Amino acid sequence: MTDQLPAWSEPFADPKHALRRALRLRGLTREWAWGGATGKGVRVGIIDSGLENDHPQLYGRVVENVTVEISGDEPIVVPDERADMFGHGTACGAIIVGLAPEVEIVSIRVLGADLRGKGTAFATGLEWAIDQGLQVCNLSLSSKSESLYPVFHDLADRAYFRGTALVSAANNVPAPSYPSLFSSVFSVAAHAEPDPWRLYYNPAPPVEFGAWGVDVPIAWKDGGSTVATGNSFAAPHVAGLVALILSKHPGLSPFEVKAILASVADNPGRRRPRGRRDRPA
Amino acid sequence: MANQQTEAALAALVAAARRSAIGRRLQGDIETRLLQSIVDATVRLFDAEAASIALFELDPDRLEFRVAAGEQGAGAVGLTVPPTQGIAGFVYSTGQALSLSDVANDPRFNRDAAEQTGYVPRSIAAAPLLDEQGTVGVLQVLDKRGSPTFSLRDMELLAVFAAQATVAIGATRVQRDTERLLRTVLARVGPDLDESQLDELVAAATTNLDVDDEAPFWRLVDQVARLRSLTDRETALLTDILDVVAAHAERARRSRAGR
Repeated sequence: MTDQLPAWSEPFADPKHALRRALRLRGLTREWAWGGATGKGVRVGIIDSGLENDHPQLYGRVVENVTVEISGDEPIVVPDERADMFGHGTACGAIIVGLAPEVEIVSIRVLGADLRGKGTAFATGLEWAIDQGLQVCNLSLSSKSESLYPVFHDLADRAYFRGTALVSAANNVPAPSYPSLFSSVFSVAAHAEPDPWRLYYNPAPPVEFGAWGVDVPIAWKDGGSTVATGNSFAAPHVAGLVALILSKHPGLSPFEVKAILASVADNPGRRRPRGRRDRPA
Repeated sequence: MANQQTEAALAALVAAARRSAIGRRLQGDIETRLLQSIVDATVRLFDAEAASIALFELDPDRLEFRVAAGEQGAGAVGLTVPPTQGIAGFVYSTGQALSLSDVANDPRFNRDAAEQTGYVPRSIAAAPLLDEQGTVGVLQVLDKRGSPTFSLRDMELLAVFAAQATVAIGATRVQRDTERLLRTVLARVGPDLDESQLDELVAAATTNLDVDDEAPFWRLVDQVARLRSLTDRETALLTDILDVVAAHAERARRSRAGR
């Protein structure tokens, strides 16, 4: 049975064997990539369940809340309450702020009672985020809808060409899901090492990055907190690192950011230099 | 002409709905039994206090707990929760598996869970039941006895069980959702139909399907459904009887034709 596991996380559980092959670009270090960076100047969209702006772990970094309203045939993006349906969007936001304390967070709520056509709401929210020029988007959901495949494909390309990094949680199902499995997307699965800065690069796509996603202390609904496991808690760790890189090196393309992440990843065979700091100064 | 076409189309719809209803009747509660076996296995494998499966139902939108297993599972069966709330709701809405490991610290979760099922879990893991179209439900496990949290391996195994459950549901869903099936087909062949026209057509095709349980045809269907529990000997006996009846019918037909 274990042969059939759709285990996107598996390479990250055994990095010594699975992640040996990886490119190292000379001169690319974490210090160069994000040393001194705070995320300042970078806006990160969180396409999720909304965000609780006044949650203490968000430190007031949420600058805008919107949602998708579907009335008739035309889905439109409208201002939203500063609230979170489930707690999940808040959890993702707090992880990102924890890594990049000066980012600006934009909440794009695409989950909720009034959003039955979820795929459409999701696509509309994503399109809005790209058109707003947000540099990073964190996606915890993906769609299996065949009819939306071309829509998401087009949006993933549009994001790539405009320089929006789409960071998506991989879905642990043995079937296509979009846009998380498109090649331009930063697809992320969980590893179990309790370190928000520990990053793996997987040279065997579709899932290219591994970040902390097991027993992660997270912010939750109503100002609360809990401990959670899932790929959707790994993705915002990568979104946070991407925000740091873009705040230090504005204008890099998603392709360039991926190359940097791959190069500074903790894959075996490239020890972190002694005494080097992960955290920005 | 247009009228004739409409009538023929409606007749075809009625036939489709009738076939689907027969299928549902013949299958009985096979879906529930399959799902039950999956939660039984889940509880045993995880050594958990409870496991349950909730399926999405329409009008009103809800997640309905269909089966449960484990010492603390019984309270969940029949429970419904809005798909916009809680861990099951999130997993349903996003298709993302997740686990929370100190839910008892969340006072709101605590109270809701206790009121509804009589059991307050410490940890919970949930995986979506995903078919080709999207999420159809959620598989949940509460409180692994040997560990306060769920590991990555646990989450992956849970996904495998969820996939099994989805296959079980897929096999019977077409029968279960005659109306949804008709609606989907109609909306696709007639994109100009508005909601009320769709409602009308679906109603026309499905009315009278199940009203008269005592009608000879449905009695026959029910009898056939009961044959599942026959032993081999009884099946052989029944086959012999049917052979005799069929031979008799054939003779009668020939003599009628010869006349």
